Amino acid sequence: MSSHRWLLRFAFGWLALLATIAAWAPLLANSFPLLVCYEEGCQFPAFRLFSAVDLLWLTGWGVAVLLWRVRWLWTIRVVVACVALLVAAGIGSQLEPPALVVHESWRTHLTAQPAQRVLWAPIPYGPRDYLRDFGSTALEPPLAAAPQRWHWLGTDDQGADLAARLIHASRIALSIGLIATGVALAIGVVVGATMGYFAGWVDLIGMRLVEIFEAIPTLFLLLTFVAFFERSLPLMMVIIGLTSWPGYARYTRAEFLRLRRIEFVQGAIAAGLPLTSILFRHMLPNAVAPLAVAAAFGVASAILAESTLSFLGLGLVDEPSWGQALNQAVKAAAFNWWLALFPGLAILLTVLAYNLLGEALRDALDPRYREGVGV
Amino acid sequence: MIAYLVRRLMWLVPTLIGITLVVFAVMAASPGGISAAALVEGQNLEPEAKKALTDYYNRRYGLDQPAAVQYLRWLNQISPLGWEPDANGTLSGLPTLKRPDLGVSFRYGRPVIELLAERLPVTLLLNLFSIPLIYLGAIAIGVRAAERAGGRFDQVTSLTLLTLWSAPPMLVGVLLIGLFASSDALSWFPTGGLSQRQALDAPFWPVTESLTSWLLLWLLPLGTMAAAVTLGRSGRWHWGKCHPVVSALLGLALGLIAVRLFVPVTNPGFFADRLWHLVLPVVTLAYGGLAFLAKLTRATLLEQLASDYARTARAKGVPPEQILWHHLFRNALLPLITVASSLLPSLIAGSVIVETLFSLDGMGKLAVEAVQARDRELILALTLLSGFLTLVGYLLADLAYAIADPRIRYE
Repeated sequence: MSSHRWLLRFAFGWLALLATIAAWAPLLANSFPLLVCYEEGCQFPAFRLFSAVDLLWLTGWGVAVLLWRVRWLWTIRVVVACVALLVAAGIGSQLEPPALVVHESWRTHLTAQPAQRVLWAPIPYGPRDYLRDFGSTALEPPLAAAPQRWHWLGTDDQGADLAARLIHASRIALSIGLIATGVALAIGVVVGATMGYFAGWVDLIGMRLVEIFEAIPTLFLLLTFVAFFERSLPLMMVIIGLTSWPGYARYTRAEFLRLRRIEFVQGAIAAGLPLTSILFRHMLPNAVAPLAVAAAFGVASAILAESTLSFLGLGLVDEPSWGQALNQAVKAAAFNWWLALFPGLAILLTVLAYNLLGEALRDALDPRYREGVGV
Repeated sequence: MIAYLVRRLMWLVPTLIGITLVVFAVMAASPGGISAAALVEGQNLEPEAKKALTDYYNRRYGLDQPAAVQYLRWLNQISPLGWEPDANGTLSGLPTLKRPDLGVSFRYGRPVIELLAERLPVTLLLNLFSIPLIYLGAIAIGVRAAERAGGRFDQVTSLTLLTLWSAPPMLVGVLLIGLFASSDALSWFPTGGLSQRQALDAPFWPVTESLTSWLLLWLLPLGTMAAAVTLGRSGRWHWGKCHPVVSALLGLALGLIAVRLFVPVTNPGFFADRLWHLVLPVVTLAYGGLAFLAKLTRATLLEQLASDYARTARAKGVPPEQILWHHLFRNALLPLITVASSLLPSLIAGSVIVETLFSLDGMGKLAVEAVQARDRELILALTLLSGFLTLVGYLLADLAYAIADPRIRYE
């Protein structure tokens, strides 16, 4: 739909911006200066804190930008990306960031011993820096303490800079959205492909399983999962994936039930190809269209699921998260509008971007929506 | 039809068992699981008291038994046909008819059925208001947008609906509380709860001092509603005709504001107080579904408008209003009915957020409390109940589909 083209452009723009912010987060918001020069020499304190995850994010971002700009074969691009990420992971495993970070240490150090040159990050506060050296800084509206401290988006109920927390939280939102959907897709495709290909009683049992998982309210199962298991990022991704696969299984099954009767599949079976080859090399590429649409919407709902859990106080412990910031806006007696508006907008725009992406994909792939009828 | 219904109802049982089995398996597979030790852990108790409490939980709920045995015992406990446990908790003899029992909550120490009877009405009340609001609003907006696709109304609503559909309920709820309920801004509505304390003792309907104000109280909203509907139909609205439902709602709101401002009321009564408390939660619960359904209504109606039979009807000179409501609408309704089955689970999930946000003691809030306390009996009962409600929702949607579409016959 041509009238919605600028909306799609906005969606891509926002997601690219978000990915950039997420990748550069430790250099955008950090309590440690990026560069400190004394007469003896220069130091890079912020880079001391680099962990393997930070390195992977930056490498991933760099590779993505590079491969977007160059025109190579897709296989070469994938190989380059894999090699770069592996190298980054290898280097990252050698990094030893300090286990305990005293966030105010450089601030106090620099007031005691002024350096010749100091380069701070654009937001000179880390996400877990509760500004203990400034006394009580909790729940300050944006720019309330302006001449001394610049909190562009205010501070949260623990006294940490909200902008820094939101910047670092974008990593969690993005990675949970993509990986949880990947997990759900993997499970859904395997289950759905088995059901659709074998049909008969395998299909019957599989459909009961899908029905069971569809009838449990997803949020309810998620709550049970997070309350009973430890809370960690990888587990959260797997759990959100585990609770959202039935839709993909349904779509894959429907496509495979249709495809299994078509000649090229019959030919592949007659040629004696192994089952995995028939299912995933020959049949799956023909079933991608509805899955791609569902996956785009799936990312949006995975991000929503994570922020809902954090909002309910069942999210990751001590990690910045958009939903958790939203929660603090209503906890206090007064209305802390900045704690509602900024994290809320971040969730809204990200979910909107993925929904727009899904709609655009559906408009492009589903013939029923092609004549500008799209929702 | 009856045979179909019976068959569908019988299919509920294995699916419900499957649902509870999944949730039970999640609990049992977790580190710590559903043992008495995990329940006692974290409580600040003397070692002897801890031991005593652990033993109590084990004796009372059989938590020291293997997970499979625990689950089977739970099934036996809730089924109307089974074994009645004796004083030691052992089961023997032949199965008999007995009272199904949902057990006793660990956290509250009260029968689960009592807790559900207390909490379920609140959630049902929220949904009772939300579902009609969702459907009426969605159809009104969707039909108008589709009638003049590409027009100004369509352009404005399509972007608004898309944004509303993507807006997380937490954000909308928090903003509504902040803008319309907090003491910092407009405190038009309460920040939470279902009633004021005084309203619980108040009479049901509003009480006024004089007969004239009593009459005004009832006639003013009705009058403004009627006036708005006539004005909306006459087309003297500055942007053309207005849908009767929309203008009726606008008129009602206007009338209520007028009553609030001009009519002296000594006691607003229980009913008005309850409605006043429900406004923000219902809006928070309903807007997402409304946006989604309105988009769907528009899309399906456009599809129908482009179909051959609609063109034929137009060609033979049927007035547009009649084509829309007589020919197209019933066909456009079918996808809306299909979606109803997926709306119910999302409303149950939505009530978790809404109830936590507005501190309403409903099923959603109970669910959060239950999982936080690792309350096995309560979690399983809530799963059973919400699964049951969802499945009944599917069944009702299928039946409504058969009523709306005469081509479908259930044998």
